[in-house]
Amino acid sequence: MSVEVQQGIATPRIPAGLGGLLPALILIGLFFVVPVLALLLRSVTDPALGLQNYAALLGDGTYARVFFNTFLVAAVVTIVTVLVAFPIAWMLAIMPQALASILFGIIILSMWTNLLTRTYAWMVLLQRTGVINRGLMAAGIIDQPLPLINNLTGVSIGMVYIMLPFMILPLVGTLRAIDPMTLRAAALCGASPLAAFRRILLPLSLPGIAAGGLMVFVMSLGYFVTPALLGGTSNMMLAEMVAQMIQSLLNWGLGSAAAFILLVVTMALYALQLRLVGSKRAAGGA
Amino acid sequence: MLLDYDRLGWLKVALLGFTALVAAFLLLPVVFIVLLSFGSSRWLAFPPPGWTLKWYQELFADPSWIEAALTSARIAAMTAVLAVAIGLLASFALVRGQFRGREILRGLLLTPMVLPVVVFAIAIYGFFLRLGLGGTTIGFVIAHTVLALPFAIIPIATALEGFDKSIEDAAIVCGASPLQAKLRITLPSIRIGIFSAAIFSFLASWDEVVVAIFMASPTLQTLPVKIWGSLRSDLTPVIAAASSLLVALTLALMIVTALLRRKLQT
Repeated sequence: MSVEVQQGIATPRIPAGLGGLLPALILIGLFFVVPVLALLLRSVTDPALGLQNYAALLGDGTYARVFFNTFLVAAVVTIVTVLVAFPIAWMLAIMPQALASILFGIIILSMWTNLLTRTYAWMVLLQRTGVINRGLMAAGIIDQPLPLINNLTGVSIGMVYIMLPFMILPLVGTLRAIDPMTLRAAALCGASPLAAFRRILLPLSLPGIAAGGLMVFVMSLGYFVTPALLGGTSNMMLAEMVAQMIQSLLNWGLGSAAAFILLVVTMALYALQLRLVGSKRAAGGA
Repeated sequence: MLLDYDRLGWLKVALLGFTALVAAFLLLPVVFIVLLSFGSSRWLAFPPPGWTLKWYQELFADPSWIEAALTSARIAAMTAVLAVAIGLLASFALVRGQFRGREILRGLLLTPMVLPVVVFAIAIYGFFLRLGLGGTTIGFVIAHTVLALPFAIIPIATALEGFDKSIEDAAIVCGASPLQAKLRITLPSIRIGIFSAAIFSFLASWDEVVVAIFMASPTLQTLPVKIWGSLRSDLTPVIAAASSLLVALTLALMIVTALLRRKLQT
């Protein structure tokens, strides 16, 4: 009997396992890996064989400005997102269930609402005659409307809004995993709240902050929609430039090369994140 | 003390105040857009001079909006079915299979979630131009299924990891075939994961903008493409009306999800 059972369990495992992966591998191989590799090939063959597209991208001041903008916005967005998300995640981790449910509801609503809807709202809110400028002027804080849109300020505001849930949700998990007793012990031993925060709470939540922060940074680097709608034409970001090179300029060689630079940077940072948190958590971080 | 809600003292007041501010920030655009859609000002003045339903009338009078929404729903439904089916098979292999390179394959299947969408968008656009699949429903569904697959695999694989395989083995001992055991024991047990996978892959397609912009043709537009086009030309309040309906849909989906989860868990 026991022999039979073991066979029943053991035999389907290996062949069935690999067979199950087949449809997924065909889909990803044929419609993801092949097109991306074709793009890479195009970046070194279009219009002629060689690295001239990369040389053009890396040697030109206009493109350097786009790379700079991209990294600047991604860095600013990441820092602001971490600073804003940490206190919220902290409260969410310890607040009474009923209150936490409401807050989670608000976060999910904001995250699940159509991306274009959210960006449209910010376009209207941030425009010259928008609610924010009018409110600030009515309050007497400013005399002239602030330039909040069609520049990197607008892009940063819109991106922080989109990234916040991606930082808050994993961080709640990290903070919930910390045993409150460690902090009680610190207090008993005479640590001030500031010392307990600096020496215990912050170091213990650092892995979560690093993982979430890196994810936000990577997502921000390649973001297209928000920069394209809230940013200005003079302050482009990388993803927007890639799209423009292909769609408006029909310059496949240059566009592919720019896309490939974006791919390499993203994948390198993703590999770093995998190192930090392990593959399952990195991918399921959202 | 810092992790004891009732013993935070003054810090609690400060942190709760900040939390309330951020909650307001998160709600602001959503609430604002809904109010705006009922405002009578074509120039989006706020607070609006009066209230009206005319933007909703304009929206429903324009067949191109309805058609775009139906196209989106059709593509998202097909994407969800495909992504869940392929993701389910892949998850069994990834969780239970014992072959070398499993982690690498898992990483490969999840990569579409990490790669900037714009890179995939132009890659698949160029590829489909050559295959003649650009601007077709099937092209849309394939591209969106690639993007949705990680969102199907993650919840299903997580549910499967939490499922005790000895229950399935017990069914086999009791005379069920391996397939029967999977269909009648395992699948019902991981239904929450499958359900989440369906919702997430539907949303991944329904909300997808970047690939859609490249893939769309004048005759085949999804809702995000239609909104994108309108946003680029002018900020008409009709977009606010369409957006408010999307917010309502999100809310409905959240409620259904919460209710179903509760029901499935008991």
